[in-house]
Amino acid sequence: MKNTLKNVFHSPRFLVGFIIFMCILLTVLIYPYFVHRDPLQGLGKGFLAPGTYVSVYDTNNTGTYRVELPEANDNRLEASVPVKDRQTMLDFLKAKGTDITGLDTSNEHFHELIEVWRANYDEADAKKNKYEGFATQAKRNELRRLNNRLSSDVNAAMTVTKGEGDDATTAAVATSDYVKVDEVANALTLPLGTDNFGRDTLTELVKATGISLLVGLLAGSIATFIGLAVGLLAGYVGGVVDDVLMFIANIFTVIPGFVLLILIYSALGAESRSITTCAVIIGITSWVWTARSVRSQVISLRNRDHVNLSKLSGHSLIRIVATDILPYIMSYVVMAFILQVSSGILAEAQLSMLGLGPNPNELPTLGLMMNWAKLFGAYTSSNAWWAYFPVILVIALISFSLNLMNTGLDQVFNPTLRD
Amino acid sequence: MSKKILAMLLAAVMLLGTFGAFAEEVKDLPREETLYFGGQQWDPIVGYNPLGDNMNNGLILSAAPRGTRTVMFETLYMYNGLDGKLYPLLADGDYAWNDDLTVLTLKIKPAAKWSDGKPVTADDVVATWDVSTKIQNGTYTGYAPYIEGIENVDGAVVIKAKLNDEGKPANPLQVLNFLCGVYIVQKDWAEGLCAKHNDDQTAIRTDPTPDAVYSGPYGPYFANDQLVAFVRNDNYWGQDASMWGKLPAPKYLAHTIYKDNDATLVAFQAGQIDVNQQFIANVQKLWEEQGLPIATYSDEPPYGICATMPTAWYNMDIPVMQVKEVRKAIAMAVDYDNIIENAMTNQSPSFADVPRSVMNPTAGEQAMYDHEAVKDLQWVGKDYEGAKALLDAAGIVDSDGDGWREYEGKKISLKACCPDGWTDWQAAMNMVAEAGKAIGIEIIATFPTWDQYQTVFTKGAQTEYEIFMWSPAGAEPAAPWSRVRAFMSSEFVGVDNNWSGNFGHYKNERIDEIIKQIPLTTDEAELKALYTEATKIYLDEVPSFSLMYRPEVFHAVNETVWTGYPEKDDGNNIPPMDCTDGYGIAALYNLELVK
Repeated sequence: MKNTLKNVFHSPRFLVGFIIFMCILLTVLIYPYFVHRDPLQGLGKGFLAPGTYVSVYDTNNTGTYRVELPEANDNRLEASVPVKDRQTMLDFLKAKGTDITGLDTSNEHFHELIEVWRANYDEADAKKNKYEGFATQAKRNELRRLNNRLSSDVNAAMTVTKGEGDDATTAAVATSDYVKVDEVANALTLPLGTDNFGRDTLTELVKATGISLLVGLLAGSIATFIGLAVGLLAGYVGGVVDDVLMFIANIFTVIPGFVLLILIYSALGAESRSITTCAVIIGITSWVWTARSVRSQVISLRNRDHVNLSKLSGHSLIRIVATDILPYIMSYVVMAFILQVSSGILAEAQLSMLGLGPNPNELPTLGLMMNWAKLFGAYTSSNAWWAYFPVILVIALISFSLNLMNTGLDQVFNPTLRD
Repeated sequence: MSKKILAMLLAAVMLLGTFGAFAEEVKDLPREETLYFGGQQWDPIVGYNPLGDNMNNGLILSAAPRGTRTVMFETLYMYNGLDGKLYPLLADGDYAWNDDLTVLTLKIKPAAKWSDGKPVTADDVVATWDVSTKIQNGTYTGYAPYIEGIENVDGAVVIKAKLNDEGKPANPLQVLNFLCGVYIVQKDWAEGLCAKHNDDQTAIRTDPTPDAVYSGPYGPYFANDQLVAFVRNDNYWGQDASMWGKLPAPKYLAHTIYKDNDATLVAFQAGQIDVNQQFIANVQKLWEEQGLPIATYSDEPPYGICATMPTAWYNMDIPVMQVKEVRKAIAMAVDYDNIIENAMTNQSPSFADVPRSVMNPTAGEQAMYDHEAVKDLQWVGKDYEGAKALLDAAGIVDSDGDGWREYEGKKISLKACCPDGWTDWQAAMNMVAEAGKAIGIEIIATFPTWDQYQTVFTKGAQTEYEIFMWSPAGAEPAAPWSRVRAFMSSEFVGVDNNWSGNFGHYKNERIDEIIKQIPLTTDEAELKALYTEATKIYLDEVPSFSLMYRPEVFHAVNETVWTGYPEKDDGNNIPPMDCTDGYGIAALYNLELVK
């Protein structure tokens, strides 16, 4: 046993797969100790891009530090009107026939550009005259939004007023005033942003990965258990038992598993779709090929000498199967189990993607996350890669690691593949 | 030998088959002359019959008073949701009621002609009604309770209202809906169709009539399972100065049949669709982040004109739903701001801006009830404590300590349903379920397929869904009366295949009286009092509750090829109704090429 394990861990493929899988598993187990948030709790408003969000209110109640950053002014100009927008301004002025000599998109000429723009842009005028290249509603809207954002003096004096009425106090905010982010009472880092419901995607993803692993494990165990039992019985007993069991297995083989899964699932109705039923149904529809291969291996084993000896010694069926047959196919069963787990996770994701997943209000799953991302146009209109790409990556990594472990094991146990 | 011949024959057949596929009629649609639509047609069309049912021809046959699509067939008037007025199309000038609202008279425009060159006359309107009566189609079943008959009196159309037991007109508002909600057909053509089928009702209603005589600006061009297209009739009567004074800009109107919403959206982003009728989550990101030449009616929330309100209905056929406190508590607990921000991505005004009532958020309707009088009955949403207190006071408590409240000893478990794939509604139902969780009532969001959903919620009695979603009537001449009726009228209780309203089968005698009274009331103060009372009853009894406001049709345009679409405050008074619906069709005459 020790030797086998040693062999297994010497296989580089198995090792890499195992490490990836353990990393995912450990993250799932450890993460909740650091972040106690309910994964389904809506924090934001729709899709928020990844980043750190700092409360504007609280920054005004935090001590300020003086920092003189030489490029502060340039940064401010760049953030207020990016070069792309300055080019749009120039294009518009050109289309209108304004003299733009000496104007460009640089920071030096920024103020001049804004002055010329102020003198020449007028919403009603743009609407009426439909200048070339700016005739469409979309373009004119863009100009208007740009105009609303413009401020010629990005270093304009700013004050913060606290309180109301006579108690109000006003404090000036200098351009060199800085706050230390970790001193702000409320700052939230969202490494993967939020989904369409404003839920923290990372927290949800970790929880969903855990659930999906659980579904996969449960589905894989059920499938392997049924497959093993049927395969052993059919292979070892043979005769009528074999015929009957293989007849059932054949029926399951000819019906496409996924179609069967969808049919059972939609017949069940949404109210009974819990995580457990999901796993059970995936399990009972995917045991067939395990059963068939176990059976064929058992058939080749059942006439070996040691099995015959056991029979002559009057050992019971269960004992023969458990001690003389099972150990010989155990390595195969473990490999099959790993693949079953992997396909169980994928099956759940596929089902949820089709909107047939477990009840979405209870717990997140990887498939459900994909489903909502799809429904809310995360990869079309909403432009929110963080809502679906990490999910795809996790599914791919789980599946990849499990398959890698499987091939690694195959290398160790399959004599024909041994170097 | 024979095997070889057989094989060669088979090969020849297959080859011919391929040619056949290529030979299928595909006509040219120059991009610069074609206006492409999206989100109106999901399957191949069945036919063009304006008298028929189930023609599944979205671009030309969509008759609803709020905005009938008058691309091929035309109505007497066009409704404009922006100002709530009727604009004459086939009709000439305004209609006139007599004093007791029993007879409506209107004239037909002298310039109006059919596609075969014959003039449109009052006889055609009469024939439209008579043939509809004969074949018992949707026009007849929809309007027969309100219209006694239509006559041609000296060239004028005279519509006689049906009278009720008291000798008063059954409902003058519905007669107005007829004016802008029914396609007028040619007498000769309709009678020819009847003769062809020996007056067989079903045969007439299901005849696809590809050669129908029409009066609108566009006629059939071609249609297959991938695309449906219409071509402009350059002899269209509307170029007469008494109507539009010119022809619509696009020579062709076309609609590619896409697989689903996602495919439609991708085509829209790529500029293959000009006018898109589809809910687009975070539509502003299309121009703000992706920089696409896409615009909506206004580029600020709510981006369009919200005229209806998707509503969650309580099913009164289920005992626990008859408890007013349960209904109100759930409605109080729902987080509406969250629905509007997340499910509608802000494409709806909030309930703080437009408090709930039986009115849609347009200024015209909002002025029709007394906001102050119902203030105490309003709720803000996400009021878990208030909802819990209400339930506790009503004795709906969790007595076995499992975290869920019981009613008559049984755990309350409700299903909240809406059709699968209706994104914003699904998200809203999820949030209703969350509200239930917060106040100890189990609510499970369930999304049946559309086929299943539509048969269940329209049943005369059903116990499958406790909470389900549908929208009442939006903007139309008969609104907001039609909405009060859709929310609460008991006339729909027990009616099978009910698409008209009160899907939850709520009963209230007083509201039935109000519904009868409103259409016959012309005094504005009295009308306002009635609407205020209706709102009071609605907010107090909570037979249903609106989850958000929503446009009747979504209207987003891609200005890659065409521009000049309606936009807010452009002074044209054209509603953003996809350039085809009701008065929205006026937009077709203002389009220009971007070049």
